[in-house]
Amino acid sequence: MATESIKYLSPDTEIETKTKVFPRPDQHASGIINWLTTIDHKKIGVMYGMAALFFLLLGGVEALLIRSQLWSHNMEVLTNREYNQMFTMHGTTMVFLVIMPLSAAFFNFIMPLQIGARDVAFPRMNTLSLWCFIAGGIILNLSWFFTGGSPAIGWFGYAPLTDTRFAEVLGDMGPDFWIFSLQILGLASLLASFNFITTIINMRAPGMTMMRLPVFTWMTLIVSFLIILAFPAITIALVELMFDRTYGTNFYDFLEGGKPHLWQHLFWIFGHPEVYILILPAMGIVSEIIPVFSRKPLFGYGLIVFSGAIIGFMGFAVWSHHMFTTGMGIVATSAFSILTMLIAIPTGIKIFNWIGTMWGGRIRFETPMLFALGFITMFMVGGFTGIMHSSVPIDAQHQDSYFVVAHFHYVLIGGALFGLFAGFYFWLPKLTGKMLNEKLGKFVFTLMFIGFNLTFFPMHYLGMIGQPRRTHSYNEGHGFETWNQIATIGALVLGVGIAIGVYQFVSAFFNKKLKDAGKNPWDARTLEWTLSSPVKEYNFARTPIINARDQAWENNYGPKEKHSEKEPLDDHGVHMPDRSWCPLVSGLGFLILVLGMLFHQSVDVNTGEVLRDYTFAIIGGMIAIVGIIMWSLEGPAGYHLFPKETEE
Amino acid sequence: MKTLLHKFKSFSLLYVLAFFVFTSGCSRIDHKQSALDPKGLVSQNQYDIFMLSVWITIFLFCAVGGCLLYVLWKYRAKSKEEAMEVPPQSHGNSKVEAFLIVASTLILVILAVPTLQGVVLMNRVPNPDNPDDLLTLTRNGLDRSSVDGAITVNVTGKRFFWVFEYPQYGIVTSNELVFPASKAVRVNLRTEDVIHSFWLPKLAGKMDLMPGQENFLWFIANENDILNRNDSSGKEVTVSADVAMPSVFDGKMRERIFAKQKFTDEFEAVGGLFYGQCAEYCGNSHAYMSFRALAQTDDDFASWVKRFQNSQNPNLQPVSYNPEEKYEKDDLVNFADPEMGASFTREYRAVSQIDKGQAPNLSKKSWKKEHSNDYENGKQLFSSLQCVQCHAINRTGLGSKGPNLTLFGIRTSLAAGWMRNDEKNLSKWLRNSNEVKFGNLMWNGEGVDDDHPLRKLENDDEKVDQLVTYLLGLK
Repeated sequence: MATESIKYLSPDTEIETKTKVFPRPDQHASGIINWLTTIDHKKIGVMYGMAALFFLLLGGVEALLIRSQLWSHNMEVLTNREYNQMFTMHGTTMVFLVIMPLSAAFFNFIMPLQIGARDVAFPRMNTLSLWCFIAGGIILNLSWFFTGGSPAIGWFGYAPLTDTRFAEVLGDMGPDFWIFSLQILGLASLLASFNFITTIINMRAPGMTMMRLPVFTWMTLIVSFLIILAFPAITIALVELMFDRTYGTNFYDFLEGGKPHLWQHLFWIFGHPEVYILILPAMGIVSEIIPVFSRKPLFGYGLIVFSGAIIGFMGFAVWSHHMFTTGMGIVATSAFSILTMLIAIPTGIKIFNWIGTMWGGRIRFETPMLFALGFITMFMVGGFTGIMHSSVPIDAQHQDSYFVVAHFHYVLIGGALFGLFAGFYFWLPKLTGKMLNEKLGKFVFTLMFIGFNLTFFPMHYLGMIGQPRRTHSYNEGHGFETWNQIATIGALVLGVGIAIGVYQFVSAFFNKKLKDAGKNPWDARTLEWTLSSPVKEYNFARTPIINARDQAWENNYGPKEKHSEKEPLDDHGVHMPDRSWCPLVSGLGFLILVLGMLFHQSVDVNTGEVLRDYTFAIIGGMIAIVGIIMWSLEGPAGYHLFPKETEE
Repeated sequence: MKTLLHKFKSFSLLYVLAFFVFTSGCSRIDHKQSALDPKGLVSQNQYDIFMLSVWITIFLFCAVGGCLLYVLWKYRAKSKEEAMEVPPQSHGNSKVEAFLIVASTLILVILAVPTLQGVVLMNRVPNPDNPDDLLTLTRNGLDRSSVDGAITVNVTGKRFFWVFEYPQYGIVTSNELVFPASKAVRVNLRTEDVIHSFWLPKLAGKMDLMPGQENFLWFIANENDILNRNDSSGKEVTVSADVAMPSVFDGKMRERIFAKQKFTDEFEAVGGLFYGQCAEYCGNSHAYMSFRALAQTDDDFASWVKRFQNSQNPNLQPVSYNPEEKYEKDDLVNFADPEMGASFTREYRAVSQIDKGQAPNLSKKSWKKEHSNDYENGKQLFSSLQCVQCHAINRTGLGSKGPNLTLFGIRTSLAAGWMRNDEKNLSKWLRNSNEVKFGNLMWNGEGVDDDHPLRKLENDDEKVDQLVTYLLGLK
C-alpha cells in the first residue's frame, strides 16, 4: 500500500491529532495490532470469512461424526446424548457461524466496492459486529467444557424440551450457552445489517441509482432488511426462554400455564426469513457470476431484483409451514400451504432468468461458473421438494423425516454453500490479486458435487421408507442400512472436497506461485472489477460517476456516453480514518457480560439456596459501555493519502 | 473445455436417471415403516398427492433442466476466440417472463386443489350425513358403518413410550395400539412432558403431541390392502384374515409374528402389523420411542376388548379366600401358601364346586394352583422391587409413570417397540435397561438411584427369571 507516491503529510493532520481524547493506532500500525484494530471493510470481510471457514470445518467434523454413527443399525460411535449434541451443534454452527458469516464476509468485502464507496457507513460498528460474531462462536463452543456439555435441544430448541424441568443432566448448562451465543450473534447480525442498509442507501457513488445496483448489492440490502426485521423475534423468544430457565417465569412452561406453541411461532417467524437470509446472498452471487461467464447482461434484471424483494417480503408470511403437524387447524394450515406455494413463483422466476441470461451467450465453464450451475440444479431439486412440503397432506408424512433433511441440505449446501463457493472462486482474485488454480478448483467442484448428491439424494428415499430425523440410531429390519452407508461415503467425499476448497482459499493469500489476476481477469461487469487486485486501502482514488448498470463492462465495450467518469481530485487527497481499539474493547465487554450471566448462579452447599452474583456481568457491561463512550470521544483522527490518478 | 462439458452433462443425466429409478420403484418400497406403501384411506390420500407432486416436479425438472442443458450445449464457447466474442446484450423479454409466471401459477393450482381437499380429509372424519363426505366414503369402498362404529383412542406420549386409552371401553394399554381394521379410528393426542409426534406412516401420516393442547388425527385401514401382500418373488397374493390379521387376544398374533418372521427381516410378513415412531425430538431416548399398531377383525377386536375389560375390572380380580362363602368351579381366590414362605399368598382355582369353609388345600384336589411357583414369586417381586410404583397391571392406572403392563404376555414388542418381546430380550431389559435404551426413565427417572432394587437385578438370575416368567405369563 505504501508507495512513494503516497504522502502522509497534510495541513489538517496536526489539528486533528490534537482533538484526540484517546489515541488511535494510526496507519503505521502493523501485524496483529493492525488486524485487531482495523476498521477497513476489506480486512473485516477477510476475518469474517476466515472465521466462518474455520467453523465450516468444525461443523463438517460434527457432520461426519453424525454420519459415521448412522453407518449401520445400533452403532455406538457416539452415545445418544452425544449424537443429540452433535446435531444441535452442527445445525447451529452451520446456520449461524458458517453460512450467515460467509455471506457477511462477501457483503463486507464486495458491497462497498460495487457501489463505489470507500468504506461502509459506520466502520467501527462494522468491526464491533465482527468481534460479536467471534464472541458468539466462542461462547457456543465453550459449552462443550461445562456441566451437561453442549446443548442437546436441536438447533430449533423447541420448548418445553429446553425447560430445566426436562433437563436430562442435572444443572445442564448447554441451552444457556446456546441462548447467549445466539443473542450475541444476533447483535452481530443487527449491527452489520443497519450498517449495510445505511451504506447502500447513502453512500452510492453519483449516478449509481437503485436500479443500477448490482444484484448482489440488492440482495445485501434485502437480506439486511430481513435480518433487522426477523432477529427481534428470536431475541424476544430467547429472552423469554432465558427468563424461564433462570428466573422461573412461565412463558413456555405449560405446567404453569405457559404455551410451547408460542416458542414455535416466535422461532419460525424468525426462522423462515432466516432461510432466505441464508439463500438470497448466494442467489445474488450467482446472479453476478452467470452474466459474466455468459458475457451477457442479466436477463430481466428488474424482475430478479423484484422477485428477491418479494421473496423477502413473503418470507414473513409462510413461517407456519414448519408447524403443519402441530395442530393449527384447517384454516391456518390451508392458508400457509397456499402462501408457501406462492413463494415458489418468484423463486422460479430467478431460475428462468438465469437460464435466459445464458441464452445466446458465450458460456465459459470456469470454476465459478461450474459452482453457479451446480447451485441452479441443486437448488432446483431443493426447491421442488420444498413445493412438495408446502402441501399439508404430503408434509404429514415428510415432516421430521429424512426427506426433510434431504430437502434443506439441497437448499443449504447445494444452494447456499455452492453459491458461496462460487463467490470465493469468483472474487478471491480480487482479494488476493492472484488467480486460483483452475484445475484444483474443478477438482473441488467434482468432489463436492458427487459427494453432495451421494450423501443427500438417498435421504429422500430413506425418509419415505420411514427413517425419522434426529434419531441417534435405528433398528435392524427397516432396510435403512444400505442407503445410509452410501450417504456416509458421500459425506466423506463431500468433506474432502470442502476441506481442499478451504485449503485453496486460505493458501491463496500466501501462495506466491499463483498467476497475477490483473484488474479484471474474468472480463466481468460490475464496478469492483475496475479496481486493481488486490484492492487498495482507499478503494477508489477518485469517486466514480456511474453511467451504466454494468459499469466495468460498459467501460470496455460500451459507447462513450456510458463510460464512467471520475470526480475531480481533492486538494487534501483521500482522507483515511485511523484504526481503533474501541470495537474490540466493547466486544470483549460483551463477551465478559455474557460469561458473567452464564456463571452468575451457584448453589449454597449447606442450604441448597440459589446464590446469584452479577459482579462479572456488570463489569462486562461496564467495559462494553466504556468502549462505546471512548469510541464516541476518540474523534475522527485519520490521515490523508494522495494516490496518483492510475493507482486504484 | 469440451470434456468438461461432457462431464457436467453426464452428471445431470445421471441425476435425472437416478430420480426416475427412485421414483418408479425399481427397489422395493414396502418396508415396515414406509410411507410409500399406504394401507389406509388417509395415508393413501397423502401418498396420491405426493405422487402427483413427484410427477409435477419431474416434469418441471426435465423441462427446466432440459432447457438448461440445451442452453449450455448450444451457447458454449467452443474456442478461446469465441469466448472473447461479445454476443448481443439483450436485457430481457417481458412476454416470456409473463408467460412463465402464469404457467408456473397454473402448475401450482394443480397441486393446490388436492392439497386443500387433503387438509379437510386429514382433519376430520367424514360425516356420512353429509352427501359430499358420503361420496368420499363410497369412492373408497367404505360405507357409513365404518364411520358410525368408529373407535376412539386417547394417546398420551411420555418419555419414551406411548399410552393408549380406549375411553369407550374403559381400558388402557401401552405401545401396541390394537384396532379393528374395518372401522375408523379417532386418535386424540396429548402429552404429559415434552412434544412428541405420532407417526404411523402406512395408515395416517403424523401429528404432534403438544403440551397443554389436544391434537387429533384419524385413520381407517383398508382391509383389502392388509390381506394382499407380496410374496418372496414380488407377486401379489391374497391371504385369509387368519393369516394377515391373527388374533391378538389369545396370543396368535405374537406366535405368528415370531414364527413367520425374523426380527431383522425388512418386510413385514404379517399384513396387520404396522410400525410407528415418535417423530419429534424428545430427548436422549427419542430414537427408541416407537410403537406398533395391530389390525384386527371385528370379532377378534371385540374379544381383545373383552379380555382387557375383564383384566382391568377391579371387581373381577381374585379376592382373598372367605370361609363364609361358597365358590363355583373356576373361581379364583388368593390364599396363603406356607411352603413359599411366611405370609406368602398365591392364586388358587376351584376345580369343582366348593362348599363353605373348604379352604384351599391341595391334598383334597378341590383346588389347584393357578400359576407356577416362579410366576407367583415374580408377582411378589414385582411389588417388592417397586415395579408396581410405576407400572399398572390389571388396572387402568392412568397417570402411572411407566407403561401399563396388563396382558403383557400377548404383546409382540418390548421397550416401546424396540425389541421383540421374548424371554431373552425381557431378561436383558430387566438386567440393565440403560444398556438397551440409554436414558430411559425406568433406569434414570426420578427417585431411581443406585440403591434402587431395580439396579441390583443385573446379576440376580433367579429374580430376573421369576420376573420374566411372571410378566410373560400375563396372558
